[in-house]
This record gives sequence, structure tokens and C-alpha cells, in this order.
Amino acid sequence: MSDHSNSQHVTSSLMRESLVDKNVIARTEASVSAILPDVNVIQIGGHSIMDRGRSALLPLLDEIVANQAEHRMIIGVGAGVRSRHIFSVGLDLGLPTGALAALSAKDSAQNAYMVSCLLAKHGFVYLEAPFVVQLLPAMLAAARGAVFNGIPPYALWEHPPLVGKLPPHGSDAGSYLVGEVFGVRSVILLKDVDGIYTADPKIDPAAEFIPEAKAQELIDRKLRTLPIEPVVLDLLTRAKLAHSVRVINGLKPGNLTRALKGESVGTLIKQ
Amino acid sequence: MKNEKSVQPAPGVELLSGSLTDASIQQATGNSPDFAILPWVNVVKIGGQSIMDRGRSAVFPLVKEIVDNLGRHKMILGTGAGTRARHIYSLAIDLGLPTGVLTVLGTAVAWQNAQMLHYLLAQYGIPFIEPEGFSTLPHYLMERGAVVCQGMPPYKLWEPNPPVGRIPPQRTDTGCFLVAEVFGARKMIYVKDEDGLYTADPKKNPSSEYIPRISVEELLARDLEDLIVERAVLEFMTRARNIREIQFVNGLKPGQLTAALNGEAVGTIIYRNGDAQ
Repeated sequence: MSDHSNSQHVTSSLMRESLVDKNVIARTEASVSAILPDVNVIQIGGHSIMDRGRSALLPLLDEIVANQAEHRMIIGVGAGVRSRHIFSVGLDLGLPTGALAALSAKDSAQNAYMVSCLLAKHGFVYLEAPFVVQLLPAMLAAARGAVFNGIPPYALWEHPPLVGKLPPHGSDAGSYLVGEVFGVRSVILLKDVDGIYTADPKIDPAAEFIPEAKAQELIDRKLRTLPIEPVVLDLLTRAKLAHSVRVINGLKPGNLTRALKGESVGTLIKQ
Repeated sequence: MKNEKSVQPAPGVELLSGSLTDASIQQATGNSPDFAILPWVNVVKIGGQSIMDRGRSAVFPLVKEIVDNLGRHKMILGTGAGTRARHIYSLAIDLGLPTGVLTVLGTAVAWQNAQMLHYLLAQYGIPFIEPEGFSTLPHYLMERGAVVCQGMPPYKLWEPNPPVGRIPPQRTDTGCFLVAEVFGARKMIYVKDEDGLYTADPKKNPSSEYIPRISVEELLARDLEDLIVERAVLEFMTRARNIREIQFVNGLKPGQLTAALNGEAVGTIIYRNGDAQ
């Protein structure tokens, strides 16, 4: 909008341009290259898997290790019941969404750290967000896999949600975004249900299973509850590289292996 | 009074057992009270292309004005990126790199500008604070009256894609707004090189009209081709719980920042409908 004749400029195609101008933004549409195209992002649910402890987690980790030779994996981990507790206390204290996000990220960091300890002997390393930015490719070249905090590092800068005060970007969103930015082969979210249903199957026996759907279709259906964070659907509609997410039951042995092979298991959400 | 809006207790038991994506639980969390963490702080964003890139002629008078206000108003000073960000965005887009990588690159430019502003304010004891050090903010604000930080939100590779194109949609306007919102700040002031918002670019279109006050809803409904602020700020403003209005002043005109800090209606104010005075 402005005359910047007094400014010192660096010559570029965006020089002197308003980055808010729709026409300028439209000109930046171009193809994107995948940075780590052979990696798979596996997200282990906090409430759905981690909180169940040994009986749920150890078979899953065995299955991850069994697939290690064939598939490169980086593992995001969610928060679970401790975050629900601190949300409850924090809301009661009147804390804002950004503060709740900063607090919650420590719960998923704890879970991710435990997973990394359990997988350490198989060569997995735990990477905090700054190391994901700087070291992930090097770590994958040297180590057998990596575990990261599923919750994105938004902390105090978390977006205000559309409804209520809970942070909209949890570990599903964070894991998906890691998959998208690196252009990975697949993003697989491990939960304690078989996939997406028309209603919560734990409560409503008439709930129908949805094996495959487009993200926009699921948004339009306005389902009252989802086994994944709704913001993942919004993110998928804007995908450049990670064009789908698979939601599978991580409590059922063999599901992850099938998903890694690209077989039809759980719910596939497509762009 | 932000801290007295409380009405109902927070949803305790349902949160522990129910699905967090359940609409009724999300709704219930909205009824919890809002505590303002730093209700006296002012967040001031210093433009990158509009101020910092102009060098001494624009920056020094503004630094003097900031210093003159130190005893009266506590400030979190965030910086924009500017022309070097535009260069590296266009280079990175050409190389096929994704939005998250552009965010990492753009953050470094806002960081450089913050460092430079910090050097100019260092003799007044004003520190530069990284996002990781934000818990020390209250101390410096009480002791020295201001801190400098880079304006980009710390999303790094986790920046979501924009609906169109590749430029990170949440940049320094948004990062500063979210700081103001999370701390329940007194004011969110954007210092740029224009008197405020116009219906079109006044330098290209002489019939463009100046807009001193507008609601965020009306501004969004106008769907302008270009704006004075990142669209994400307007979108977040409609659902913010603490920040009710944002103000845009011309940093090239001495006294405008001071007037805004004093609560005067200079520049353009974008407010949320229902909150109009």
C-alpha cells in the first residue's frame, strides 16, 4: 500500500509488495518439493493409547520395531489425561488458551520422552522442536528413527479457538504438520477406535463406520465428535504434499503394519 | 474489567473423561472466567518494511519516542520482517520449499530487526527476549518498562499452509496480536508508515477514502484486495477473549505512538462489533 522510496530494498519478486495483497499471494502458488519423501509419521494418541499403559503401548512399540527394517518412521506422541486435568485447573483459574497450550505441551513431551526411552535400544532418539527443525534429517541418517512431541510449539501463540478456550492444535495437528512440511510418505494416527464413525461408537451403537472420506465432506457433516482434532481436517484441505491422513485402531495388532503397507484399514481422510 | 467476567465454574469432570472434540464440552470451556496476566502492558509492533527498512531517519525518532514513554507505559516491542523476508520468500518459493520452511527463514529476518532495535535500546536496560524466555517478561517490564522480541509466532516448521500460495499466513502482525491476547494486554498498537486504513491504496488511487474506525466484521465483509494487517489478525480478533480493538498509527509522524499509548483515537482503530464505545 505504501511508497517505500526511503527504504532500502533487496531486489526480489516480492520487493516493495504488500504480502497481504491477494494478487501478490496468488502469484506465490508454485510446486513444492518433498524434503523427506520416504518417511512415515506415526502419531500415538495420548488419551487413547498412552494413558492405558503397558498393555496398549508395548505391543504397539513391538509392531513399530518389527516394521523398522522396511519403513522409516518418526513418532509423534499425544498428551492425554494429565492435560485434561491441567486444562480443568487452568480454566478454573481463568488462564488464556495460549497458557493452556504451553502447559499441555509438557504432558505430551513427557509421553514422547517415555516412548523414546522404550525405543532407545532400537536406535530411536527424542527430538525437541528446535532439533526437529535443525537435526531431523541428520538424525534419521544416523539413528533408526525419532520420537517427537506431537503438540506443535505454538505455546503462548496458540490460536484462539472458534468455540470455548481449549487449544485447537493438539498432537494430531502437530504430527500432521510435521508430515506436511517434510512431504512424508504417510501420516498415520493411532487411536483406540477403528476410525471415524458418524457418532461416538462407545456411546451410540447405531454409529456407522466411515472407511474413506474427503476432509471437506467430514467438515460439512458437522459430526458432534471426532476421534481426531477437527483442525486436522482444515489443514488437510490446504495440503500441498501430505494429501491424506489415516486414522487406525492402535490397540489391534497388525493394523499399523497394514497401514504402513498402504492397505485399506481404519479411515482414510483425503484432501 | 477483564478479571470480573467470570460466571460459571469450568467443566471439571467432563474434561477428564469425555471427548475433547465434543461440541458441548468445548462450549462449556467458553464459560470459564478470563484472567488477564499482564493487564497493564501495551504490545507495540514496529513494522519491518514500513519502519525498520527505512533505517535511521525512521527508526531513531521512533526510538526516542519509545524512550520518552518508558516511565509512563510498559511496552512489549515486537518487530516485523520486511524486504529481506520478501527476498528469501521468493527465493525459497523458487526452490520449491514448503511454507513451514519459509516461516523458519522469515523468523530469522524478524529476529535480525529485533536485535537491531534492541541494540538501540540497550543503554536503557531493555532486553531482547526469545519466545523461550517469555517467563522473564514480567520482571523486565516492571524493572525497565519495555522488552524487545521478534514478532513472528514461534511456529517454525509447524506453520499451517495458507489457503492460496506459499507465504506463511501468520507472520509478525499475528504473532504480536497473539502475545497481546494471551497476556490480556491493555493495547495492541501497530506502528507502520501510513496514517491508517484506506479503501484503496491512496498513492495509486486519489479517490480512496480514509477509514478512522471500522469494525472487524465490516472490514472482513468488505473483502478488500489489500489490507493494512494480516488477515489472520482479523480472523483471530473475531474470537479473541481479551483484545477488543487494535490501533494503527503512522510511525513516521512523531507523537502518534505516544497519543495511541495515552488512549487517544489517532490513526485507525479496528474494533469488534458489540464492543464499540
